[in-house]
Amino acid sequence: MAILEIKSVSKFFGGLAANSDVSFSVEQGTIMGLIGPNGAGKTTLFNCITGYYPPSRGEVIFDGRRMNGLQPDKVCMLGMVRTWQKVRPLAKLSVIDNVMVGALAHTSSLKHARELAMEQLKVVRLEHREDFLAGGLPIGERKKLEVARALATKPKLLLLDEVMGGLNPAESEEIIQLILDIKAQGLTQMVIEHDMKAIMRISDRIVVLTSGEKLTEGTPQEVVSNQDVIDAYLGESHA
Amino acid sequence: MTKTILKAVVGLILLAALLVVPRYVESPYALHMMILLFLSVSQGQSWNILGGYAGQYSVGHAAYFGVGAYTTMMLMHSKQVVPWVGVWVGVAIVIVVALVIGSICFRLRGPYFVLASIAVAEIMRLSAINLTTLTNGAEGILATEIPAFKIGERVITDFLTKVPFYYIGLFLALLTIGITYWVQHSKLGYYFQAIREDQDAAHSLGIHITIYKNIGLVISAVLTSLAGAFYGIYVGFVDPPTVLGLDVSVQIMLICIIGGMGTIWGPVLGSLLLVPLSEALRSNMITEGLVKVGLVSADSRVGLFLKENLAHAHVLLYGILVVLVILFMPEGLMGFLKKLAPRRNREAV
Amino acid sequence: MAVFLQSLISGILIGGVYALIGIGLTLIFGVMRVVNFAHGDIMMVGMYLTYLLFTLLGVDPFVSVLISFPLMFFFGGFLQKVFINRVLNAVAQNQILLTIGLGLIMSNTVMLIFTSDYKILTTSYSSSTIQVGGGVSISTPLLISFLITAAITAVLGWFLLKTDTGQAIRATAQDREAAQLMGINVSRMSVIAFGLGAALAGTAGALISPTYYIFPQVGGTFTLKAFVITVLGGMGSVVGATLGGILIGVTESMSAVYISSGWKDVVVFVLFLLVLLFKPSGLMGKSRT
Repeated sequence: MAILEIKSVSKFFGGLAANSDVSFSVEQGTIMGLIGPNGAGKTTLFNCITGYYPPSRGEVIFDGRRMNGLQPDKVCMLGMVRTWQKVRPLAKLSVIDNVMVGALAHTSSLKHARELAMEQLKVVRLEHREDFLAGGLPIGERKKLEVARALATKPKLLLLDEVMGGLNPAESEEIIQLILDIKAQGLTQMVIEHDMKAIMRISDRIVVLTSGEKLTEGTPQEVVSNQDVIDAYLGESHA
Repeated sequence: MTKTILKAVVGLILLAALLVVPRYVESPYALHMMILLFLSVSQGQSWNILGGYAGQYSVGHAAYFGVGAYTTMMLMHSKQVVPWVGVWVGVAIVIVVALVIGSICFRLRGPYFVLASIAVAEIMRLSAINLTTLTNGAEGILATEIPAFKIGERVITDFLTKVPFYYIGLFLALLTIGITYWVQHSKLGYYFQAIREDQDAAHSLGIHITIYKNIGLVISAVLTSLAGAFYGIYVGFVDPPTVLGLDVSVQIMLICIIGGMGTIWGPVLGSLLLVPLSEALRSNMITEGLVKVGLVSADSRVGLFLKENLAHAHVLLYGILVVLVILFMPEGLMGFLKKLAPRRNREAV
Repeated sequence: MAVFLQSLISGILIGGVYALIGIGLTLIFGVMRVVNFAHGDIMMVGMYLTYLLFTLLGVDPFVSVLISFPLMFFFGGFLQKVFINRVLNAVAQNQILLTIGLGLIMSNTVMLIFTSDYKILTTSYSSSTIQVGGGVSISTPLLISFLITAAITAVLGWFLLKTDTGQAIRATAQDREAAQLMGINVSRMSVIAFGLGAALAGTAGALISPTYYIFPQVGGTFTLKAFVITVLGGMGSVVGATLGGILIGVTESMSAVYISSGWKDVVVFVLFLLVLLFKPSGLMGKSRT
């Protein structure tokens, strides 16, 4: 069953198309990878899906419901939550408080929220940082914090925007394990990633965007062997 | 655990001491100072909720302070409505005003929000000057006769001394501190701080930004209007510059900024610093001190100049303090003190 | 009709001076992204400088521009180097607070020296007018100040468009980082921009001193008006600020005539809120997404 359907979504800024006529769907419980060169419109698409921009054309259907025009807070309450390419910790709050903000989406009790938050900190293995200020964490831990905070809102679909960007190989490996753990719990994910090896390992399917358009879609195997992809994307990075 | 008990004990002793002060202190001047302190704490604390916690730097809080003061005074002066009823009319009006302002200003961010908040307060001030039939214009309203407060036939207080004002002020200060404490320890406080730290991130976590900003504004505005009403009744006089001027807005926020924003004790600390300092300047204590020490002679040109002018310099002092605070301790006095005694587990590696 | 023409003309004339204040503010914002809340107070300092030169040395207010422009330029450069420079990377709120604090220091220091009495600078031509027929007259000092304003704006335009420094300033305003990469001394451009902004505000102060009351708190209203002007014209746009200044001048003088002089500032602020709400990029600005 498809939990998310993107139907001919386009987004124009002035006369420029950041996304044009993009369609695909994400199956329940799978990981969808989203790749493409810089400026291909990946983050714009995330913004359209999560309510930061209204799509200029087309529809976003989540869990059987049309999402166009809903604000990000409503989108989150309905079960879709995203992380940010450039991490956005609530810098002057402690790590646990950051995650509690997420957990408070579904409870008004601070005690309950604290318990939920602690669970999520354990999932991302940050429980030892509980009382540290979020702004002072090293980048790898800030990325994990973003994931924990998003998970605390109890999403049905998690959108990760370059969650491995700027990390060293060991840290990336931890994140990969984390994503696979989350998948094992049955949560659907959509992942933007530049690290090709990583995305091939974790994704069930991959959508390739170039210049705002969908170039192709398929399993990791199909995508790496597609000549257009090699020309448009892999070719560039191997040049 | 012992720390919590210690805190509670210290708090209770302090509270008891504050409650019995009027029994032992008869000097009206000392009581006056305490009342000013309470007023300052409630002003700073009210602003703190919106500015310090939710991060919305309103430079237009004079609007709420002034509406609270004016409504209570106008009703008492021309309609003989007792102030403890009039103040609630003021609160009702302020809620409406705050929601109108909120719906306009909260669509804007950063400097635009600051500008809009100033513009709204200025519109209020100019309206108070121009709506002469309602507000008596630039002359202001003088009303010093407060009817006695009775329960049944029993006179509780006739407001002839400063003592009743002392207790009202104390209550107001404690109320604002209590509400701040409650905000900080509730979902509201978490959401306010999330909005302050990163509005977009907060939005993505299910926080309805506009609703929460407006909740913060209404709480803050209502408390500010109570402080305004208290000020009007205590001083017995309101006019546009003293309750609706830009200076008032700036002073309200400075209490909090100098003390430390987004902390419960920041506004208290700010008041403890600012009120005695500006009173010392206003009452020429500093000039007298300089003369006494022998630094300047009372009838020299410098001495006369200081005596003449230093009384007006308390706003200058605010200016110097805010510049120093922003440049050297942007977290305010509270942040500065915290840095002196760093808590180990708060520091990241 | 005569009344309409009369208020239109005085609106445009006073609007020229407003434009000068607005251009200064917009220049500072453009180059540094700092909203200068002390702008009106800097103008006030210019007024008192003119007052001093006139009463002590008998320098004509309009001639004194030649002295006050460079003096105010250095004053602005000093403010930038010592204070503003330290908060360039701080959050916008702290920049605003710092400039509010600097404004309070200026206005209250002036009050300590000159007291808060209203001062009037009376020249031989202060109340003289030129009849242009049809019952319409033009105030001589306003006309002179408008002409000086126009000349300064023209020179400023030439400076920004044609000189190397001017182009460097515009490049910095467009993209600070890119300008730095191109080898432009960005911090020097900031000092020049703040200096120019202060000099323009100070000049505006000098130009209105023959027709305006001089008192320490005069700056507050002008700071607000300067914002209204720059927001109307689109933050950072010099041409926009010029048009915004004239628009505000005309709005003011029209509402003084057709509503009442007490409400004229209210009209300006309401207009300001409406623009912020419906066209935050300014009347002349392109709408950004």
